Formats: sequence, structure tokens, C-alpha cells
Amino acid sequence: MHDLLPTIPEQLSKILSDVHFFVPELYLSGLFVLVLLADLFIGKRSEKYCRAIGIAGLIIVFFKDYEQYSLAEQAGGAVPLFSGMLLLYNKAVSFKVIIDLLTVLLMIYFPWDNKLSTHKKGLSDLYTITIGSVLGLHLMTMATNLLSIFLAVEMVSISSYLMVAYRSESGFSAEAGLKYVLFGAASSAVLLYGISLLYGFTGSLDIWDPKFMVNLTATGIAGVGLALTLVLIGIGFKLSFVPVHFWVPDVYEGAATPVTAYLSTVPKIAAFALLINFVNAFVAVVPHPDFDFRLVLSAIGIVTMIAGNFAAVAQQNVKRMLAYSSIGHTGFALMAVVTYSPQGLNSLIYYLAVYAIANIAALLMATYYTNQTGAEKVTEYKGLGFKYPIVSVCFVIILISLTGLPVSAGFTGKLFVFSSVYATYQQNHDVWLLALMITGAVVTVVSLFYYIKIPLNLFLRKGALPFEHDHSDKKIIALSILLTILIIFLGLFPHFLYKVL
Amino acid sequence: MNLLTILIFIPVLFGTIILLLPSSLRASFKYITLLATLVQFALSIYMYLEFKTGAGFAGINHEDQFQFVQKLPWIHLDLGSAGAMQIDYFVGVDGISVPLLVMTTLVMVIATVASWEISSNVKGFFALFLLLDMAVIGVFCALDFFLFYLFYELMLLPLYFLIGMWGGVRREYAAIKFFLYTLFGSVFMLLVMVGLYLSVTDPATGNHTFNIVQMMNPANYSADSIFSAAAQQTILGVPARVLGFVVLFIAFAIKVPVVPLHTWLPVAHVEAPTPVSIILAGVLLKIGGYGIIRICLGIFPEVAATGAFWLGLLGVVSILYGALNALAQRDLKRMIAYSSVSHMGFVLLGIASQTAEGISGAILQMISHGFLSSMLFYLVGVVYNRVHDRDIYNFRGLGSIMPKYTAFVMIAFFASLGLPGFSAFVAEAFTLAGTFKSSTTNGLLPYWMAIGGSIGILLSAAYFLWTLQRMFFGKTLLKGGEVWRTALTDINVRETLTLVPLAIMALALGIFPSLVLDVANGSVLALVEFLKK
Repeated sequence: MHDLLPTIPEQLSKILSDVHFFVPELYLSGLFVLVLLADLFIGKRSEKYCRAIGIAGLIIVFFKDYEQYSLAEQAGGAVPLFSGMLLLYNKAVSFKVIIDLLTVLLMIYFPWDNKLSTHKKGLSDLYTITIGSVLGLHLMTMATNLLSIFLAVEMVSISSYLMVAYRSESGFSAEAGLKYVLFGAASSAVLLYGISLLYGFTGSLDIWDPKFMVNLTATGIAGVGLALTLVLIGIGFKLSFVPVHFWVPDVYEGAATPVTAYLSTVPKIAAFALLINFVNAFVAVVPHPDFDFRLVLSAIGIVTMIAGNFAAVAQQNVKRMLAYSSIGHTGFALMAVVTYSPQGLNSLIYYLAVYAIANIAALLMATYYTNQTGAEKVTEYKGLGFKYPIVSVCFVIILISLTGLPVSAGFTGKLFVFSSVYATYQQNHDVWLLALMITGAVVTVVSLFYYIKIPLNLFLRKGALPFEHDHSDKKIIALSILLTILIIFLGLFPHFLYKVL
Repeated sequence: MNLLTILIFIPVLFGTIILLLPSSLRASFKYITLLATLVQFALSIYMYLEFKTGAGFAGINHEDQFQFVQKLPWIHLDLGSAGAMQIDYFVGVDGISVPLLVMTTLVMVIATVASWEISSNVKGFFALFLLLDMAVIGVFCALDFFLFYLFYELMLLPLYFLIGMWGGVRREYAAIKFFLYTLFGSVFMLLVMVGLYLSVTDPATGNHTFNIVQMMNPANYSADSIFSAAAQQTILGVPARVLGFVVLFIAFAIKVPVVPLHTWLPVAHVEAPTPVSIILAGVLLKIGGYGIIRICLGIFPEVAATGAFWLGLLGVVSILYGALNALAQRDLKRMIAYSSVSHMGFVLLGIASQTAEGISGAILQMISHGFLSSMLFYLVGVVYNRVHDRDIYNFRGLGSIMPKYTAFVMIAFFASLGLPGFSAFVAEAFTLAGTFKSSTTNGLLPYWMAIGGSIGILLSAAYFLWTLQRMFFGKTLLKGGEVWRTALTDINVRETLTLVPLAIMALALGIFPSLVLDVANGSVLALVEFLKK
């Protein structure tokens, strides 16, 4: 303690001077409190206000992100904050921008799900939790210290647990929530164990600290391998790659559909940002001589792509199918991670952004069908295409994008990922990269096989069920059309998004 | 506005009109579609007449020799270390694509008339039909690989729905099989495309480019790139360029289709409604042949030369296997589907010979088969619409109750089996001549392949004549009895008007093959010269 005393004023002033790099996160904290208070004081009718405040606040945060970006650019592209706890760099801001905008989209979508909106407590708490989790996600994108990594991951995890269990009247949903908490807690423990091992080996928590890598290199492969595997399992749980993907189908199926849309997109994007931060430190500073990240992540990527896509083929429940497909997409995105190139990172962000838009749109339309007809299984979609032509056509286009066929944003995303991997392959001729690309191509065909089941039932089969039209769902139709147009637009002119990343 | 661009996007314009009109006007949709295809046909005829021939307009690997060119910058991205990505909206035609364009637009008109019977969900049908139309024309015009791929893949979805929603009993199976097959070919094509794009730089701008014409020039490949001919890189032990060629060839061979990748075709053709069968057989199979000429041969000429024997072998196998299968069918539509496999084998054989005669023959065969297979499928549709049966053994002596119909069937059958005076004869004769010549000039194909091809012609005569004898000659005997007899009325004016232009084209191309060959010749010679290098 006495040793620290002289440095405290210096550290404090450093922290204070870093605060202006941290404005979006401060705004988020304020917004979190504001929404919470609005819920408390406005009372029963707070739902609308909470939502409006949340959305408006996130849009402000989006502009603050933009300012943060220019600040980071002025400061040379990368700024370590709060004595190395966080690292602010331009791509982290890109991740944040995408997270914020997607969250706005999700907040708009939340009350449109009949099952979720009839919740007797109302949705005000859900908005509060969402804002809280966005703060955690922001931290995840910048975390470079083992401690901040753990804190950020936990912050997101806890809010995710609450969201999954938010609507727990059905046994299935409660089961999903409980499973998620248990598995999540276990994975956090594993992550923490890995972190403590790394700390023990190196005596430092800062992964960019040269001492960290030097000491780690001096440690034997068995210890390092174990520690890194444990950390990867912890992060992988969020990313839902194989073999820590087992929670995904149950949770995605059990949670309310908008919550599934949230879980399958935003935390995944942040987890990729975190993985990039973590892996970059290992690749950029002093690569460990024995532990080859590219090998490990490539192998995981291949297995994930295969397992996710092949498992999806057998699914009947639409949400479950999309859950497995999202595992497959994680595997595909890992391909861009292992390039370690700036181009690869850009492709990754682009791929994740368009995947997220398409996935949210797909779940939005699944909500629409459930609201209208109660259909949840693929076979219950029979003949609905003729009853709801507009939404169904949008659904087909969105699924085309998820498959990665032209003309859709999904295709351009795939193209960018393939080109970045190819560019790296051309330099180092790593056979793993080739295997990744071939697997990526093969699973595209497999994914078509299950995605096409939805158009198949919508249009090719005749349904018999009579039911009442609910005409109050015009908003969903409007948003679906908007997202579909966006997807097609990005399929034709991807540079509008790619350039600003 | 550029003529080609108008030609490509006219269907979209009309399709949008159809989508916007209320369903109460559904009776007008077919006329709108007909108008769209007729405008397209007129445009393509105009382009055919305006097309300049000669050595200075050969196209192939000279960007400045393409005609009706439009080149607009489309996607330009700076990718940092990997250089800039340059994708252009680049369309243009040379002597190989112009005849195919005319054929395609005419077949589209025929297919529209054949869709007169479609009664359910008319709006969806014609909207998808026009989308497909756009994609098909786009494939023949695109000179940028990215654009080509976009159009190529864009065909799949409309076709999936056209087969799946308006098809026969096993339509679901047929539609998904077709989709998966083609997609399997094209996802790997995507990988090769990305590899090529990263290997090739545009000499003018220094960017990486998807320009197909630039990809044909070995000087544009960066020294250390995967597909550089000089670098001789390998992928998994296989020379990279050989692998690239094989992957692209498989993608197109699925479309052609080449045995053994043909199994989607009989199912899809049989289950598809008549207009879609016409488009499938008449136009889509040609995209495979066109792709092999333009892309496989153009970008990997030296691999095409070393692999010519195998290409030729696959061609001969397709000819014989398709013909033998056709002989064994009792479903009329299936028989015609297999005859397509057999006839498209000639295209591959002609391409493999890499002689001027062979490649001209291949192009002529594509055009001829485009008209003849449309006619054949339309004729099957006539019977099927009337009695919903097309089993060869359920009909006998149709000649006496449907004389006009029988006359058209005879024209189509005799033209298809290669009777002199009809287009298929000239095409097949050229192809075989090219194959014979190949063994003495460039030594790519052995003599026996030409003999194999001739046997294929003999077999095609066998199955066509046998079918003619079984179904149309003899005493009238129908499985459906009197009901069928009254249902089987002779063809009406609309049907006659559809069949006449096709019959005229088959005859005209048989008597004046120069209609196609004059236009194509310059490009074919340029291609042969290019391949010799």
C-alpha cells in the first residue's frame, strides 16, 4: 500500500484524462439509470417511455461513438485506457457502432412479439437490462486486461440470464433459463480458472504487457495449453462454437423470440471483438512457440461449421434451426479471424453485421407467423406464403442472404471473407486455410438444404388451417420490407457499408 | 442507354409492372410478359443485324473488339494489403454470344406462349419467369466474373419456385435436387473466382479485377499468385490451374449436363411445367456450354488442351449414354430429356476438338438444340395438357386423329435425329468433322471418338423413329378410350403459331447455317488461334 501511495495522484490524473475517451460508455451508464428510474417513477404505463428513452439514448450513444472514433483517430488509432484495462482502437468502435444500431433495431422489435408483450410485468425491466448489457458489450469490444475481460463477459452474461428467463411461465422457457444460468456460471468459472492460471504463470493481467508474453513463453506447453484452452472455452461459450455450443438450441428455442434474436447476434459480435483482442495480443507481441492459435481456431471453425450446419438439417422448429445455423455462421466467421489481417478483420465485421441483420429479420418474421397463426414448426408454415405473400417473399430473400447466395448481403459477406482468407493463403500456403474455405463452400450447400425448407413449406405445399388474420401487425411487415431492401441493397452495393467499417 | 443493358433489364421493368398491378387484372399478365419477350426479341434481332463481323470484331480475348459494350465502375474497395477490389458492370457481346442471345429471346417468346395454360397464381409465375429471363440474358452478356456469377446464381431461385410450385407430382424432389446440384457446382466456382480475382490485376488501373477478358491474358497474373501460369503453384499436390479448370468445368458440366452429372436433368425436365421445361432445355443447358467456351477455355487454355481427351471422352459418353437411356424410356418427356443429354454431348465433343469446325459445330448445335428441344417439349406439353398422360405405350395411331400435330412431331423428330436439311444435321456434321480433323491437326482427340459420335446419331434415329412408330402410326388405340379421343383435338391456331417459327428456324438453319456461322466465325477463329498459343 505504501509503495502505491506516491503513484496514486499520477494514476488518478491519468484516469481522469482518459475519461473523455470513454464518453459513449458513460452515456450508457447514465441511460441505464435513467431507464431504470423511468420504470420506477412512471409506474404502470412506463413501458412506452422506457422504450422511447432507451432508443433515443442509444441513438445519442451512436453519435458519441462517432466522436469517439475521431478522437481515437487523432490519438493515433489505438489508445490504452485506464492503465491498460481497455484498448480503444478504431475497429473496436466499428464493433460498438454495429452493436448499438442492432440494439436499437431489437428494442423496436421487442414489444411486437405477442408472447413477450403480454408479460404481466411489462417490458420496462427488459429495456433496462438490455441497456445494461450493451454497456457490457461495449466493454467487451475494448477489453484487453484479463480482469476487464472477465468483468465485461460477466456483465453481459448476467443480463443475458435475466433476458432468457424473462418470460418463464412455460416450463420449457424456465428450463431454458435455468440451463443457461448453470452452464453460463460453469463456463465463467472455467474462464476464471484459465485467467488465474495465466496470472500465475506470468504475474500480470495485462495481455499487452511484454512481461506477460515473455513469461508465458517461458512456461511449458502443457500449462499454457491448459490455461489458454480454458480461456477459449469461456469466450467460446459466448461465441457458441463447438464443443461449447450445446446450450444454444435449447436456450434459443426456449427464450422469447426477440430475446433469441438478441442472443444470436449482439453478444456474438462482441464476443468476436473480444476474441480478436485476445488473439491479437498473442499473435502480435511474441507468438508463443508451441501454442498455435491459427491451428486451434481453424480446427474449431471447421468442426463448428460442419456440426452446426449438419445438425440444423434435422430440425423442425424454426427457432431451433436458426440456432444451429447461427452456430454454423460462427464457424464461418472464425475463418476471417484466423487470417490475422486487417482485411480479414474488416470482412469479419461486415460478415457479422449482415448476418446479424438477416438473423434478426428472420426471427422477426418467425414472430410474425407465430403471432398470426401460432406456427412454430417448419411444417406448420404450410401454405402460409399465399396468405402472407409480402412477408413470405421477404423471408425467402432473408434466407437467401443467410445461405449466402446472390443478390444479397450474405453473399457479399461470404465473398469478402473468402477473399481475405485467400489473400492470406496466397502468402503462406497454410493448408488449414484451404480446408476452411472448402468446408465453407460445402456447408453452404448443406445450409441451403435446411433453409429452403421454409420457402418449401411456405410456397410449395398447401395448408389447410383456417385462422383469423391479425391486421395489427403492419409494423412487422414494414420493418421486414425495410430490412429486406437493406439486405438486397448491400448485396448490390456492399461498398457503402464496407467503406465505413 | 446501352442496348445490351436495356435488353437485360427489360424483363425486370415489365416484371415490376406485373407485381404492381392488382390481381384483378391477372388476365393481362401473360400479354405483358409476351410484350416484354417480344421487345427483347426485336432488340436482339436488331443487334444481330447491326453486329459487325470480321477479324477486327472477334472479341474473345480482346476487350476492345467486343460490341455493344457498356462498362461502368460498380464496386471499388480499397482492401489495404490485398490491393483494391475492382468490380465493373461490364457487358458486351462477341460472335459467340450473339447467336445465343437471338436464340434465347426467341425461346423466351415461345415459352411465354406455352405458359398460356398456367392458371394458378399467375402473378407469381410471370414475375419469376421475367426474373429468370433477365438472369439468363445477363449470363450471356456479362464479361465481369462477379456479374456473371450474380446472374448465374440468380437463375436458381426463380427456377426452384417455377418447378416447385407449378410442376408435376414429384416437383418438390425435382426442384430441390436441381437447386442443390447446381449450387454444389457454383459454390466451388465462387472459390475459384475469388482466387482468380486475387491473381489478376488490371494493367490499366493496377487493381485486382474480376474482368474475364483480363483473366485471359497470362501477363496480367501477378508472379506469385495462385493461378499464375508461370508460378506453377500447387494446391494439395494438384497444379492450381488444373484444379481451377476442373472446378469450373464441373460447375458448367452440371448445367450442360455431362454424364455422370446429369441425374438432376430427367427429374427436373419431367416435373417442370411445359414453359419451364422449354427454358431449361432450350436455354439453361446452353449456359453450361457457353461457360465452358468463354470461361474454362478462355481462362485456362493450356489446361483445356492437355485435358481435351477427357473432355472429348465425357462428350462421347454423354452422347451414347444419353441415347441408350432415351431408347429405354416409356415416358415421352423423359425420353426427350435424355435425348437432350445425348445432343449436348456433341457440344462438349466439338469444344474438346478445339478446331474451327468443332467449335462452330458446338455453337450451331447449341442454337439448333435450343429450337428443337423447345419444340419437342412444347409438343409433349400439347398431349399432356389434353389428357394428362405422356406414356408412350398409352397412345397409338395419333396420326389419324391429330394430323397437323403429327406433322410437327415428324418435323421435330426428323430434325432432331439429324436428317440432312435440318439444323441438327449441319451442327453434328461440323462437330464430327472437327473431331476427325483434330486427330490429324492438333492431335487432341482420337479417331474413335468421332465414330462414337456417329453411333450416337444412329441411336437417336432409332429412338425417335421407334417412338414415332409406336405413338403415331397404326390403328388408333388409346388407353383412355373415347374420353381421350374427344380430348385429343388437333392443335389450335395459337399452338400452330408457336410451332411454326421453331420449325422454320430448324429448317432455315439447316439450309443456311451461315446465318449463325457468319456471325460466329470471326470469334471462333480467334478462339482457335488463342487456344493454339
